Amino acid sequence: MRPFVWNYARPAELSPVIDQYSYDPILQLNVLTDGRPAIMDRALLAAVGTTTSKAGSATHFDD
Amino acid sequence: MTVLILTSEQDVTADMVVAQLHERGVPLVRFDPGDLPGEGALSAEYVRGEFRGYLSAGGRVVSMSGLRSIWMRRPNEPAAHAAEPSAWLSAESGQALYGMLDCTNARWMNDPGAATKARQKPWQLRLAHRSGFPVPATIITTYPQVARQFAEQYRHVVVKTVSGKPPSDPPMALPTTLVPPDADFAGVAAGPTLLQRYIAKRADVRLTSVGDEQFAARKVSEPGQVDGRYGDTGHVWEPVEVPARITRAVAAYKDLANLAYGAFDFAEDSEGTWWFLECNQGGQFGFVELETGLPIAEAVAGWLSFTAE
Repeated sequence: MRPFVWNYARPAELSPVIDQYSYDPILQLNVLTDGRPAIMDRALLAAVGTTTSKAGSATHFDD
Repeated sequence: MTVLILTSEQDVTADMVVAQLHERGVPLVRFDPGDLPGEGALSAEYVRGEFRGYLSAGGRVVSMSGLRSIWMRRPNEPAAHAAEPSAWLSAESGQALYGMLDCTNARWMNDPGAATKARQKPWQLRLAHRSGFPVPATIITTYPQVARQFAEQYRHVVVKTVSGKPPSDPPMALPTTLVPPDADFAGVAAGPTLLQRYIAKRADVRLTSVGDEQFAARKVSEPGQVDGRYGDTGHVWEPVEVPARITRAVAAYKDLANLAYGAFDFAEDSEGTWWFLECNQGGQFGFVELETGLPIAEAVAGWLSFTAE
């Protein structure tokens, strides 16, 4: 028998593949391909959804 | 004195705080427990009643006595990236890391013990009531008959996960959902089920509290919308003033829960009442700051940088 709440489940969204920025261990933050911190491109962050309240849902449940 | 940030490399919300710390000239080490052992390393020795030791990651080394604060952001499970990961290795690595960090004088955002307790939904609701928030009627049960009676009593109820954690096998999303009138409650016996009286809301409110500061944002809901995280309604988050009663309740809640950080979710009803839904002790804030400009990352950096005179 399925738990009741599972009746209202939907498929999990796949985590986006992000190649517009990568982690820089020297700066200790993610940088764009031109070397600027990824947080400078706020439109990009909003588009990829990595800062939203669902962003960590796959591995974290404090959203 | 150094700020230790425990999080994954992919965490760009943490980047917002890292950038603020760089601007302030505050030393920091970003460490993912998932890299321990491997890219991350530690050593601590018990000498005359004290543990003395250090952590290293990315070529940086920080001594335990040199930590001013620790931010538990989005750390991976200890040893998650090990060459041969196992539950045993994760437990060993977690005990070593967090046991060692617990021996420091650094202040935590949030203390791991407080965080564990703060995740418990029943405890949250009780604490919210004691703090002065209005809280919707709620039931957690494994009895189908009790669930059915609750649904009949309140007519409109929602179901949500107790833990907030979605199933991983298979991976599913579990948005808060309105239970239909003809629901079959038999499945309640297969797992604890949380039902809550549905609050017909005109807006979602996300209040992020950092130390003594509070930042609230509001997003208009569509009629009948239940879970504001799902479905694009075209509305955006906008800053909103916090009612005095809520300000006091948030402060009381965090004090009782021993939390330095909390992201509170409210449903605003047609009369303007903010109903407490939950407090995410590690909740996201990047999306709020990006849309509203509320200086949350700056507040987090300020809290982490603080040094008592």
